[in-house]
Amino acid sequence: MNPQSAFFSESIRCLKQSALFSGLATSSIEDIVTRCRRETWKRRRQLPMEETWRRFHILLSGRVRLSRGNAENGRMITLFLLGPGEPFCIFSLLDGKPHDVMLETLDDVTLLSLPMDEARQWLDEHPEFNRKLLPYLGEQMCSLAGLASDLALHDTETRLARLILRHVDSATTEQHVTPRLINDLSHESLAEMIGSVRVVVNRQLQHWKQEGIVDAHRGHLEVEALQELVRRAEELPHKVPA
Amino acid sequence: MVEENSCVAVYDNHLQAEEAVRRLLAKGFDAGKLSIVGKGYQREEHPIGFYNTGDRMKFWGAQGAFWGGLWGMLLGAAFFWVPGLGTVVIAGPLVSVLVTALEGAAVVGGLSALGAALYSIGIPRDSIVRYETAIKSDHYLLIVHGDQGEVERAHDVLAGGDARDVTIHLS
Repeated sequence: MNPQSAFFSESIRCLKQSALFSGLATSSIEDIVTRCRRETWKRRRQLPMEETWRRFHILLSGRVRLSRGNAENGRMITLFLLGPGEPFCIFSLLDGKPHDVMLETLDDVTLLSLPMDEARQWLDEHPEFNRKLLPYLGEQMCSLAGLASDLALHDTETRLARLILRHVDSATTEQHVTPRLINDLSHESLAEMIGSVRVVVNRQLQHWKQEGIVDAHRGHLEVEALQELVRRAEELPHKVPA
Repeated sequence: MVEENSCVAVYDNHLQAEEAVRRLLAKGFDAGKLSIVGKGYQREEHPIGFYNTGDRMKFWGAQGAFWGGLWGMLLGAAFFWVPGLGTVVIAGPLVSVLVTALEGAAVVGGLSALGAALYSIGIPRDSIVRYETAIKSDHYLLIVHGDQGEVERAHDVLAGGDARDVTIHLS
């Protein structure tokens, strides 16, 4: 991207605010943005990873879902829900291979894009980025491990409670909170994040609504009683001060 | 039907935009898939006018040679007055998109007629705001319409030139 572009400083600002790139020297961030091209993708764009893995993408705005599906029964499981400042596909960056993942934009998204080889070269030239990348990879692995264990060990109520709590600031002391990234997702999308189906998630949310734990209506989800939701999640992933 | 994938490049002046068009044509791009948008001058010392000679629209004014040359290469010509932007001159298939939007009374909330045309070819709102600002500041937009491969190839050609900004918009 040309540093004279009206979008250049906006891209730098977005990356500086992200967990992955914050704390990096401005010159390092400018270096990667300069190597990137800017793209926008419309909402509901779906494409298999085979079409995208040769380029490294960093989201500037909007959300992208990475999922796997079973063509025979039509079921989907969301592996990652990515927001601004997050990259994909980080695994292809590491191993240089495509992965069996379907990518879908949940909003109109803006992103930076550069060839994988160029991204690896930038990594080589900026080893300080590893101090951010390694914890990020650790989080991604924990997230996948959490999803796998939730699917194997817990019922739908617990899985749904844990999903919501993963998208709530763990330091909050408020009882009334809005989950980030997932608060406007459809019940079907929420179901695909916990290996369930829409009717089950809908029934569970209505049940919690009657209990005053959440306020869920079309396209909007609010937590009304965080501590009770933590109890439903068996209090493992989230701690709320008494 | 104009494809809903595009590569949009922003240029500081008409000479750069014209050179970019020629570079794309030299690389084999279809002239029927290129559009240019710029602001028409309204200053008193630069009177402008349009007239039709046979099948070809002519532009008379400070940049008559520029627009006349483009209209010789590209499909379509239009001259609009857009609230907030002033007079806007367009060449290429974006003209038919804009006319279709106007004829169909397609209104996209909060967008000008030009903004609605850009929106209908898959450009998101925040980018439209930036492009309208660029036009207002006397910059020029060069738009390459096409499939994903074409707009990516156009990006590679244009990114190496004088463009202030080059963005790919995919649907």
